[in-house]
Amino acid sequence: MLNIKDLHVHVDGTEIIKGLNLEVNAGEVHAIMGLNGAGKSTLANTIAGRDDYEVSQGTITYAGKNLLDLEPHERVGEGIFLGFQYPVEIPGVSNLNFMRTALNSIRRYNGLDDMSAAEFMKLIRTKAAALKMDPEMLKRFVNVGFSGGEKKRNEMVQMSLLDPKLAVLDETDSGLDIDALKIVAEGINAQRGDDTAILLITHYQRLLDYVQPDVVHVMIDGKIVKSGGKELAAELEEKGYAEVA
Amino acid sequence: MNEQLLEGYKSQAKELVGTIPGADDLRKKALSDFEGLGFPTNRSEDWRYSDTKQLRNQLFDLAGPASIAPTVPEALGETAARFVFVNGRYDEELSDLGDLWQAVPIRSLANHFMSNAERANELIPGNDGVSFLNTALLRDGLVLSIPSGIEIDEPIEIIHISCGAANAAAHVRHVVELGEGASISVLERFVGDDNSYWTNSVLQARVTEGAKLTHIRLQEEGANAQHTAKSFVNLGAEAAYNCTNIALGGSMSRFEAHARILVDGANAVINGVALSATGQSHDMLTHVNHTVGNANSDQIFRTVADSRGKTSFQGKVTVAKDAQQTLADQSFKALIFDKTAEANAKPELEILADDVKCSHGATIGELDDKAIFYLTSRGIDPVTARQMLVEAFTADALAAVPHDDVKDAIMTRISDWMTARANKATV
Repeated sequence: MLNIKDLHVHVDGTEIIKGLNLEVNAGEVHAIMGLNGAGKSTLANTIAGRDDYEVSQGTITYAGKNLLDLEPHERVGEGIFLGFQYPVEIPGVSNLNFMRTALNSIRRYNGLDDMSAAEFMKLIRTKAAALKMDPEMLKRFVNVGFSGGEKKRNEMVQMSLLDPKLAVLDETDSGLDIDALKIVAEGINAQRGDDTAILLITHYQRLLDYVQPDVVHVMIDGKIVKSGGKELAAELEEKGYAEVA
Repeated sequence: MNEQLLEGYKSQAKELVGTIPGADDLRKKALSDFEGLGFPTNRSEDWRYSDTKQLRNQLFDLAGPASIAPTVPEALGETAARFVFVNGRYDEELSDLGDLWQAVPIRSLANHFMSNAERANELIPGNDGVSFLNTALLRDGLVLSIPSGIEIDEPIEIIHISCGAANAAAHVRHVVELGEGASISVLERFVGDDNSYWTNSVLQARVTEGAKLTHIRLQEEGANAQHTAKSFVNLGAEAAYNCTNIALGGSMSRFEAHARILVDGANAVINGVALSATGQSHDMLTHVNHTVGNANSDQIFRTVADSRGKTSFQGKVTVAKDAQQTLADQSFKALIFDKTAEANAKPELEILADDVKCSHGATIGELDDKAIFYLTSRGIDPVTARQMLVEAFTADALAAVPHDDVKDAIMTRISDWMTARANKATV
């Protein structure tokens, strides 16, 4: 589904990703682990198409298409979702209006009609309830005044609503207490399926107790230096990055 | 001042002698005040951001009747009545008085003073060359005298159309009086063709005890228009003035709101949105004068300027020595699309009382790239994303518009304006 070859990415003139290779197939959950500054978030943002992240070399192919040819919103239309490490606050735009506009944008991209307001309300209420989000939060401005945990839960509600084929979750577990972490994990597990793939970016093993990855990668200084099964995460926790890598 | 211009305006004033009964002396005085002051320039503090070059260099004739039938813009929703002024003259045929005339005495300015010549001295002479010239040259306007206790929810539309009035000016004056506890909403609209013309309009209002005047202005003048307008509002006890100004059209446009709080418990809300495309300049100036205490005023202005567009806000709040317990708040935020866009902010607080709560804030910035990326990362295209952010940015300044259909129509204009920017960018 996702195939990254020899990827080099510059941010503000500095090379952050330095020749990264990664292949993720449908039905798989991959975890990318690494310390701060390893380039994990840069990878996530590059997949999503953030425009100040400059790909200087290499390719990203997604579902047979050259991902780098697509605008960020087109990538979403093709089924990619980025869960933000720091979801952005948008005063003046209600969560409901935001999510409805997003859903209908993706539907239009795929040649479907807009979902009616009534149908949308029914859907979003179900999604919010499944992730134990207070329906009142849907009426509030996007992420404004949300706690760290509420923001991450809001990301999960969006993911569930937009139902991506490939979800890239950037440090979705950071800043969460154990209850919030379990809810987020449930959201991720619900998104697992034979035709979906998930790329979890994290620097703690904690989330992986609740979401079992198929493959674990270790990222250091802009490259994947080691890959293995879920036992690699435990090993990292025990011995630290320096020794494992 | 340019002699030729002065002579031109003097001879226009001569033509108008006797047209507003009882007002000749007042108009003569206003003309001599205009002569003394001339047109304002950037050297005048209140006009430092407005480019008055065209007013200073060109004689604008008195606009005559339209030679072709003008297009009247569609209503924005339910209205109590529509009054249409073409080139500054009331057009009975195009107007629709609805049932309003049954509840409210409605008159043209000339008729009003015909039967009340002694009241002509209630016309506010003005506060600068532009408004003195309005007093000297006004030829028509509406007088709305709302009896005590009458409340009308739907807006009363006053539509100003400029049609075929090249190099001509329309000086209009509306007079609104609200009896105790009365409440109306006046929706002023300004439209015009592509000629170079000048709209110079004044609305003066007396809002007595417990009465409420809602005043919405939708300025969509033609691209080459000069638009100067003022409101002068006096507020009695527990009276309210709720004003929202939307500046979209014209080449140079300016609106001043002057609210005087004369008795306790009054409330002035003056908000505004201005969108400046390339080459446009919108200027908004407010002066809320708290002459007594225990009254509130609130101002929210949001402006957006595209490349080489310009928006300016000057907000003055005066609190007199005895005006204790005054609450006054002012918020100005401007968006600029690039470094060639210009936004000016000048809050001015003159507070002589010591037990008051007055605040102001002003920020100028660009659209937040992080917010745009967040929206696009959910599948929303960048044009829509920018539109959503600009709509959200302006929302606070529209919150006081009580009519949902009018507010929706304004929102549509804001998103259309954003679409036009996006289309321009891709050409």
